[in-house]
Amino acid sequence: MVLLETEGLSINFGGVAALADVSISVQPGEIHGVIGPNGAGKTSFINAVTGFVKADQGCIRFDGADVTGLAASSLSAGGLGRTFQHAELFGECTLLENVLTGFYRHQRYGLLAAVAGFGKAARIERQTRKQAAGLLAQFGLADLAQHRASDLPFGLQKRADMARALAAKPRLLLLDEPVAGMSEGEADETAASIKQLARELDITLVVVEHNMRILMSLATTVTVLAQGRVLARGRPDVIRANPEVIRTYLGEDA
Amino acid sequence: MRIVIPVIAFAAVSSVPLFATSYYLYLAELAMINVVVALGLNLLCGNGGLISLCNGSFMAAGAYGTALLTSEAGLSGLAALPAATLLTSLLGAILGYPARRLSGLYLALVTLGFLELVQIAIEEYPDITGGIRGLKVARPAILGLSLQSETALYLLVAALTAFAIFAAWNIQKSRFGRALDALRQSPFAARSLGIPVARMKPFAFALNAAFAGCAGGLFAMVTGFIDPTEFGVLESLKHITFIVVGGLGSVAGSVLGAALFTALPEFLRGTNEYSELVYGLILLGTLLFFPRGLAGLWERLPALPLQRAASKEPVHGAS
Repeated sequence: MVLLETEGLSINFGGVAALADVSISVQPGEIHGVIGPNGAGKTSFINAVTGFVKADQGCIRFDGADVTGLAASSLSAGGLGRTFQHAELFGECTLLENVLTGFYRHQRYGLLAAVAGFGKAARIERQTRKQAAGLLAQFGLADLAQHRASDLPFGLQKRADMARALAAKPRLLLLDEPVAGMSEGEADETAASIKQLARELDITLVVVEHNMRILMSLATTVTVLAQGRVLARGRPDVIRANPEVIRTYLGEDA
Repeated sequence: MRIVIPVIAFAAVSSVPLFATSYYLYLAELAMINVVVALGLNLLCGNGGLISLCNGSFMAAGAYGTALLTSEAGLSGLAALPAATLLTSLLGAILGYPARRLSGLYLALVTLGFLELVQIAIEEYPDITGGIRGLKVARPAILGLSLQSETALYLLVAALTAFAIFAAWNIQKSRFGRALDALRQSPFAARSLGIPVARMKPFAFALNAAFAGCAGGLFAMVTGFIDPTEFGVLESLKHITFIVVGGLGSVAGSVLGAALFTALPEFLRGTNEYSELVYGLILLGTLLFFPRGLAGLWERLPALPLQRAASKEPVHGAS
């Protein structure tokens, strides 16, 4: 049983191969780490899997179904969530509003109920507010719920991005450098909440990360990308011992 | 408290016929009609970040629709208005469909083209629309009771305006309002959350067109006479100044902007040719000094004791 599987995924940007023949399979329940130096194709991988960029070749299967070429919004509606390297929060909205927006698909009321305002819509809004506040609290953002997103430092925005992505209740969540811009202490804290939430909510994770120490502590399986290709894959301790990985990646930055 | 202010405001507005002359009553009706237009446009532009230069056309559709459904199809005014509103909303969705992949200047041009199309259509079918000579609109009747009395028509406009404010406020605070805000601020993030970005644009246009269509229908009833010059590009640009000066994305802003710009010509009557200058200065001044419009003024004032008490909660330090 495989939850997410890519086969021969390739993307070219004007002759430059961002991804070349990348095949990765993610088991349900695991935390799958993807590492690689800058330009290795990590973000391209997330973009391709979540439908933000169309792959030139290869196919993507999610939960047994071929989802190659589907639009990003229908993929996320199908349970495939993601976060962004640069957080991409709705800057003029408060953190609470950001997370509330994440619940869009799960708030089942129509336009007429919204216009009326009371009754069904009001009841669902109240419930959602409680859940959104809970998510913010789990990332230590409860006190900042009413702050404008763009006023906050980058590290906090990254955490809010994760809370917002979780609001959409994905079954598989792809995190793009979740601890970027955080101090070591904050990164440890965030990694701990990620691990705990993934277990509690029964979510499978794909974590793209620069921070080797954090990734190795989080991941149960690791894939190493270099220049768009899969260099190695395996358990974190095996990867750490792989001489080729040490040469191209660990050697310069760990 | 939250219910008290709207009730007082509505009572005040409803009592205007008790003392106002019929000219000021007419002016108040126009102001309220403009408020309805601004509310819809603000959802599209202020929240959704989509521009429309053809709002006059949606008003035209509502106005001609109401007039023709009354005179040709024999509907009563009270049935013709919602029917015309629905039809206009459909027209908005149809226009919004090809606009799915457009934004910014391209969208502005498409809507401008649509405006011209509607103008030409009105002028080219004089048998139906009266062409450039215009169309007389019969006073509506409600439940067989003709709204000959000015007060009755005024109260109808006031009631529908109140409902439009209520509806716009609720939409903005709902999942749909947040989806529109998401569309404006980051279509990428919106898509990652399962918000159907491509479908949101026709939706936003349909929503806007419903408000404009209803306003157009009321306009036809109030003026009793419509012609295509009422719904041209200048009118559409005026609608944009309502919401920019009032405050983008703000219901209060729609109300303030539309009311101010309807009343302004009255205050400027002595200035003759300089009135355009005053218009321009107000627009420029707002853009320069109050980028969030009249509705944003409140937040720009130095913290008054009252304001401090009203602020929702204490500010916490960043963690």
